[in-house]
Amino acid sequence: MKNGMSVLLSRIATPTRVGRRDFIIVAALAAIAFVVPYVAGTYQQEVGFRILQLGALAAAWNIAAGYTGLVSLGSAAFFGLGVYTMALASNAGLPIVLCMILAAVVAGLFALIVSPALFRLRGLYFTVGTLALAEALRIFVVNSPWFGGQAGIFLTARAPKAFELYWIALAIAVLVIVCVLVLLRSRWSYRMQAVRDDEDVASQLGVRTYRTKLWAFGLSGALIAIVGSVQALNQGIVQPNGGFGISWTIEIVSVAIIGGMGTKVGPWIGAVFIVLLGEFLIQFPEIHMAVVGVVLVLVIRFMPNGIWGTFTLALQKERNFS
Amino acid sequence: MTAVLQLTSITKSYGGVRALDSLSLEVAPGEVLGVIGPNGAGKSTLIGVIGGALTPNSGSVTFDGRDISKLSSADRARMGIGRTYQIPRPFTRMTVADNVRLAATNSGHHISQRELEPFVGGILDRLGLAPFAHETAGKLPLLRRKRLELARALALKPRVLLLDEIGAGLVRAETDELITIIQSLRTEVESMVLIEHVMDVISRCCDRTAVLDFGKLVTVDETPKVLADPVVASLYLGSIADSAEPTPFDEDKRAGIRASLTSLVSVAKPVSDAPLLAVDDVWVRYGGLNALKGVSFDVQPGECIALLGANGAGKTTMARALAGAVPLTSGTISFAGKSIAGLRPDEVTALGVAQCMEGRKIFGTLSIEENLIAGGLDARKHVKAERLEAVYSIFPILKQRRKNSGTALSGGQQQMLAIGRALMSAPTLVVFDEISLGLSPIAVDEVYEALGAIRDSGVAMIIVEQSVERALALADRAMVLSQGEITLEGMPSELLADARLLSSYLG
Repeated sequence: MKNGMSVLLSRIATPTRVGRRDFIIVAALAAIAFVVPYVAGTYQQEVGFRILQLGALAAAWNIAAGYTGLVSLGSAAFFGLGVYTMALASNAGLPIVLCMILAAVVAGLFALIVSPALFRLRGLYFTVGTLALAEALRIFVVNSPWFGGQAGIFLTARAPKAFELYWIALAIAVLVIVCVLVLLRSRWSYRMQAVRDDEDVASQLGVRTYRTKLWAFGLSGALIAIVGSVQALNQGIVQPNGGFGISWTIEIVSVAIIGGMGTKVGPWIGAVFIVLLGEFLIQFPEIHMAVVGVVLVLVIRFMPNGIWGTFTLALQKERNFS
Repeated sequence: MTAVLQLTSITKSYGGVRALDSLSLEVAPGEVLGVIGPNGAGKSTLIGVIGGALTPNSGSVTFDGRDISKLSSADRARMGIGRTYQIPRPFTRMTVADNVRLAATNSGHHISQRELEPFVGGILDRLGLAPFAHETAGKLPLLRRKRLELARALALKPRVLLLDEIGAGLVRAETDELITIIQSLRTEVESMVLIEHVMDVISRCCDRTAVLDFGKLVTVDETPKVLADPVVASLYLGSIADSAEPTPFDEDKRAGIRASLTSLVSVAKPVSDAPLLAVDDVWVRYGGLNALKGVSFDVQPGECIALLGANGAGKTTMARALAGAVPLTSGTISFAGKSIAGLRPDEVTALGVAQCMEGRKIFGTLSIEENLIAGGLDARKHVKAERLEAVYSIFPILKQRRKNSGTALSGGQQQMLAIGRALMSAPTLVVFDEISLGLSPIAVDEVYEALGAIRDSGVAMIIVEQSVERALALADRAMVLSQGEITLEGMPSELLADARLLSSYLG
């Protein structure tokens, strides 16, 4: 079992140093993305929203999975917590921004509560544990009397317009990127990678591994929940199968693997790829998922570091030989 | 004076095996304590228990008068206990410098961003790792990984340093350098515990030495007294002890082994004057580095060649090239008249070239018997059974424990398993890579006795070794590699006669 996981993790490229340049590039790209609603139509804004949403999810997931080795299949749990927190809190009359913050807090607390049990598991066992956790949470929401059961909850707040959603998603995407960059610049970056590569040795070198994992897992979950809270606004109605559906988990993992796990840029490349592929195949919904599946298999086989990881490795080689 | 580190009746069992059996030991301030003992005596377990990686079944560990038995290894590291691993475990995808930075920023001492770089740079410099600071640690060869282990432990600014066989596999000059480093550490570190099989390190660094056997303390005393102890000589030191008398060879046993070997090896009949193995102008390039620069040599049928050289000289690369595990950049290797360059490792093995790899590479999830069978999967069932019996008759201990996991054996027994596994393919040529690495002196005696019998059976051998005297005693011909080229070649007696020449080549 452990071998399988290490094979998966060995595909992660070493992250490069983060410098001031990265922040400038992010600011420039964000500025360009900001003007999109002025020049493009509703359709483009919706596609843009999807890309930003998926990119942010995959980048947030990557904090735990790519850098810390906590390969979670429980993203749907955090996403659903965000969705339902937004629905309940905004219906209670709280301002939208506060609802988002609340979503992050709820997700963080959830991570804290489940961590003693989950962190006893390592490698693939952890992965399977998170999968079970998300499913258990979904069933709990369906069966408990407070969350509207299968029918779900209608949001009473005004539905945001496409451009508003787009800008909210953009702001969240920037938040996620800045979190990742700050993390990679800090000493946490070494700790996370050390825990990923060899938890026992990390501990022997003074790294408090439990704390490190909890921070990474909690931050990753909180950011996923924030994205989830926006999805509630987007839909206007929240339902257990939409909020806690495993399709979110699968989408996040596909985006991250295709783009490149453990890289800064990979999740965003993966998101652009998956969303545009989906738009391209919109006439053929019956083969859409099959094509994504085939692409995933091909990437894992031929580009184990994902699109971005393969690209940067090739660049490095080029540099070494010249 | 109170002890810095005190272990009180520690017992640690794995399954039914007691690795440590109510062991009590003290480390005094300012002391360097050596720990020696046969492979499997519980030495590494001892370090695991002190460092916190292993929880003992009973007993307590006291550090500076405080009971630390319940503390996590991270907290112990922050209190000032630094350890290294016998088999280095670097964070392979982080750079060498990042490996050290990690330890520096997680020690109990606060270090500002401004102080960090000079501190890390200083440690890397001191251990000769500065040129590799920006390489990923996974690219380092074994010996530099060992240095990185020490570098990381030092970055914790430890008060007590636990070093697990950092001297294994070093040539003389490197050992001297290591001893200098350890001696220089005495002023920075309060106390050290050294597990070592290299007796030079023990005798020149350690104030006191403890001897373990079967998890029990045999003796602990001033180092010279311990090394002169006849009990220690018979238990551990073997033929290198001053007091040792040459053990008479048991002729019956030898004859038995020789009989077993006839079914295990294929002796090549010299068809013509052509050599069995011909290596011609072989170049191997990794990344931007030439590991081998035009190496040429021959091996005749039944000949035993010693391949010597300093660490990083290209010995293991040569062994791996012979195995088909690294592609040749240019040049040819032919075996029994057939080119083997470009063949896969399994195809090379099928032709009759077996490998006994560096670091033993035992499959931990397989039993001993399964490990052996894995060495000769191509053979028919009855042939396999026959070879298995033959290996068992050479190494009876393997038969006794054949259902156990391959890694449940002591180091010396694992090496026997690795040798046995290499023989299972009935090879014509066997490459033994660093066979004495990390073995207690007495286990090296045993392993080399087996090698002697294997040589006498007529199989051709290439012995890649750091332990120059042992290899030369066995070989028909010796070669010295330095920086990827063969710089010295000759009869063992010639090389031994001119020790200065040899040592200048070995660095």
